[in-house]
Amino acid sequence: MRFEGHETINAPIEAVWAFFMDPHRVAECAPGYQSMEVLSPTRFKPKVGVGIGVVKATFTLDVELDELREPEHVLVKAHGVAAGSAVDIHGGADMKPSSPTITEMDWTATVNVSGTLASVGARLMESTARKLTARFFECVREKVETPK
Amino acid sequence: MAVEIGGMGHSVKRKEDPRFIRGKGNYVDDLKLPGMLYMDIVRSPYAHAKILNIDASKALAIPGVAAVITGKDLDAYKLAWMPTLMSDTQMVLPIDRVVYQAQEVAVVIATERYIAADGVAAVEVEYEPLPPVVDPFKALEPGSPLVRPDHADRPTNHIWHWESGDKARTDQLFAEADVVVKEHIYLPRIHVSSIETCGCVASFDKVSGKLTVWMTTQAPHAIRTVFSLVTAASAVGQIPEHKIRIISPDIGGGFGGKVPVYPGYVCATAASVLTGLPVKWIEDRSENLQADSFARDYHMDVELAAKKDGRFTAMRVKTLADHGCADAAANPSKFPAGLFNVCTGSYVMEAAHVEVDGVYTNKPPGGVAYRCSFRVTEAVHAIERIVDSMAQKLQVDPADLRMKNFIPPDKFPYKSPTGWEYDSGNYPAALKKAMDKVGYAQLRREQARKRAKGELMGIGISTFTEIVGAGPSHTFDILGIKMFDSAEIRVHPTGSAIVRIGVQSQGQGHETTFGQIVAEELGLPVENITVEHGDTDTAPYGLGTYASRSTPTAGAATAMAARKIRDKAKLLAAHLLEASPDDLEWVDYKFQVKGTPSKSKTMAELAFAAYTNHPQGMEAGLEAVSYYDPPNLTFPFGAYICVVDIDRGTGEVKIRRFVAVDDCGNIINPMIVEGQIHGGLTMGMAPALLEAITYDENGNIQQGTMMDYLLPTSMETPAWETDKTTTPSPHHPLGAKGVGESATVGAPPAIANAVVDALSHLGVTHIDIPVTPWKVYEILKAHGLTEE
Repeated sequence: MRFEGHETINAPIEAVWAFFMDPHRVAECAPGYQSMEVLSPTRFKPKVGVGIGVVKATFTLDVELDELREPEHVLVKAHGVAAGSAVDIHGGADMKPSSPTITEMDWTATVNVSGTLASVGARLMESTARKLTARFFECVREKVETPK
Repeated sequence: MAVEIGGMGHSVKRKEDPRFIRGKGNYVDDLKLPGMLYMDIVRSPYAHAKILNIDASKALAIPGVAAVITGKDLDAYKLAWMPTLMSDTQMVLPIDRVVYQAQEVAVVIATERYIAADGVAAVEVEYEPLPPVVDPFKALEPGSPLVRPDHADRPTNHIWHWESGDKARTDQLFAEADVVVKEHIYLPRIHVSSIETCGCVASFDKVSGKLTVWMTTQAPHAIRTVFSLVTAASAVGQIPEHKIRIISPDIGGGFGGKVPVYPGYVCATAASVLTGLPVKWIEDRSENLQADSFARDYHMDVELAAKKDGRFTAMRVKTLADHGCADAAANPSKFPAGLFNVCTGSYVMEAAHVEVDGVYTNKPPGGVAYRCSFRVTEAVHAIERIVDSMAQKLQVDPADLRMKNFIPPDKFPYKSPTGWEYDSGNYPAALKKAMDKVGYAQLRREQARKRAKGELMGIGISTFTEIVGAGPSHTFDILGIKMFDSAEIRVHPTGSAIVRIGVQSQGQGHETTFGQIVAEELGLPVENITVEHGDTDTAPYGLGTYASRSTPTAGAATAMAARKIRDKAKLLAAHLLEASPDDLEWVDYKFQVKGTPSKSKTMAELAFAAYTNHPQGMEAGLEAVSYYDPPNLTFPFGAYICVVDIDRGTGEVKIRRFVAVDDCGNIINPMIVEGQIHGGLTMGMAPALLEAITYDENGNIQQGTMMDYLLPTSMETPAWETDKTTTPSPHHPLGAKGVGESATVGAPPAIANAVVDALSHLGVTHIDIPVTPWKVYEILKAHGLTEE
């Protein structure tokens, strides 16, 4: 599955970049987030619970950030396994300011889900992914647009 | 008199049903043994991956988890691989590589079923995904991922090539033909989905060394022999065959899906042998649907050649058979493509040439003979569809074309161009009966009227021939074990009897029908006859129930054993009546002095004498065993006519009428036969309109639950109209043929032909099954025929 989107975030690009570089803040917005082990500034292992229809699975993800060009570009690779299911994600984000206080972000994600989640939840997968993505960015905006 | 006996031809109520309808059946999952452990299975999310590591420590830390077994553990006992029924190999548990999604990776043994499931969730497996190959055509391309690198001598996904018939003559006839039609016909992968999933309880007694396995299997004796041979080759050491007892208790549907040995059986058995405790394994519904062996998956290029006048001359078929990750087809040894070369069907033609290539892909094993005799469904679909294509091309009525090409009733036994000898048949009579019953001529007029108004209605015919009852032992064996079958009858002193048969029942009603055979042959009331099956410690050796073989083989054995008993009873009667055996006759289920009904003895009286008053020099008792090796297969047939209406708004196909005229020779129990046909028609309608298993490009099954795999319910099932003709098998002792699968085999092309017929004026010549509303809607849309 390939997803892409454009988000307008009412915050300076530096603030948006800082947010995405802080795994703990990002995790707060990740749907189903449970816990995380941070291995390095660009590598971490969050545990997230995902439910598609009646199928629920807890994934331990191995997330790695790559090709960082502050403050405008990052690639994300993630690989996760759960009982009977697995997920592989290749994503990227490009950001640019449209004003000193507004950041435009283009993102893409290629998601491969395997196993029970893919075979049992196939019909619901895309709509669930869209719903979770929307919820994630809503949370991001809320956190970044309201300075701490 | 006959009615009281309940012999051949009587609709005796099924002896099994009182316990089933009261919920008192005895299925594998009903069994609970003291100290029993439970097994659950860790399955692969990937269709193709390396296993880098399996960490069971968290699972083993869960209280109640007794053991986690991996492929490496089994490999230490040389049990990580097992033979398939087609002499290929298949992983029990993988050592370092998985080859299909939902493959067994490790098993967890625990004190409770739920703890076992928690253990499965806690086993951490590290995989390195590999590119899978899902499409059998791509699997043959150079550079395709290799599904079975363990076959070092064969670095390809091509498993075998098989062909049958006269290629040169066939090609020549095609070159000379006036008319040739060709279709690419795909029969998709489907799943049997019996109401009871697979499972077992394995119990190894460490003191006596005896292994007892209650198992959902259609072939308990063959399993016993294979288990003994497999243990002999393993580091466990051979468990001698007399110390293995396989019990197949009540089985909730088999349909071929319970012929293979699944890894779960082996793992549960290994776990019991290792722990000395009973271990139960029962699949859940999704595991059954995702991981058990599949049926069909045949990509067929089918051609038919004919003269201008419509007489067929030759048939040519090229097939790609998608076997998934192992050739685990449940076929007799010599038939890698089953009996597929019976595909010339009910028609005369001079020559035929059939080729099949087996291919590996990253999917669970295929090749289950789903309610059909080894690829006959595929064969019948090929011929019955291509005959309709020919009728369309010649612009003649498909019924007329069939009548013109049928093997004439006086030409039996008939040798088919691929070498089968059809024992008997009367195809025109069956088709005529079906046409009269459905009102064929009126329907064609109605269709013409409706077509003029833009309404879509179709009439489809299927006049199929089955080939069942494997088999003559000179040709048929499974892993070397000849496909005879057996029966053992013991008549008790007070005139009741027990019959033990080598075949086994998964719902066919053997406890009733085999009793009826004995009742008919011996004149003992059917209610006084117990039929036992499925326990290898008590039943005589047999090959099991599938491919409609029970009546043709064990049914014949039962009649032959009964006749041995009757022969002895005749001597007893002669003794009691003080007459010469030559002066006795068997009339009205009694021996009487010829022409003197007052001087007679019933079987009950003779049975009593066998134990109380047998003549000097004769052994006491009244029992017999028969191992019956049929001289040929039997060839049941039928004529089915299906009438469909198509909804132009939704593309939905509605079966308005379905007339099924079947001929299975002499009938033991008409009610059971009718039940078999009703069930078979429903299971034939299902793949025609609803069922198909597909995979995404990563090898994920797309129909992993009953939400996506559409089994028919009563809502989708039309009212079947059944009838019969009777053409007895000339070689079967009872003149009977098998009937369990006729309808599953015959129904799909009747429905597909009806849909194509409804759309034929648009130039449609073929639609692959399942004919879903979406496929039909797309065709209607392309012709601007959809309506709001």
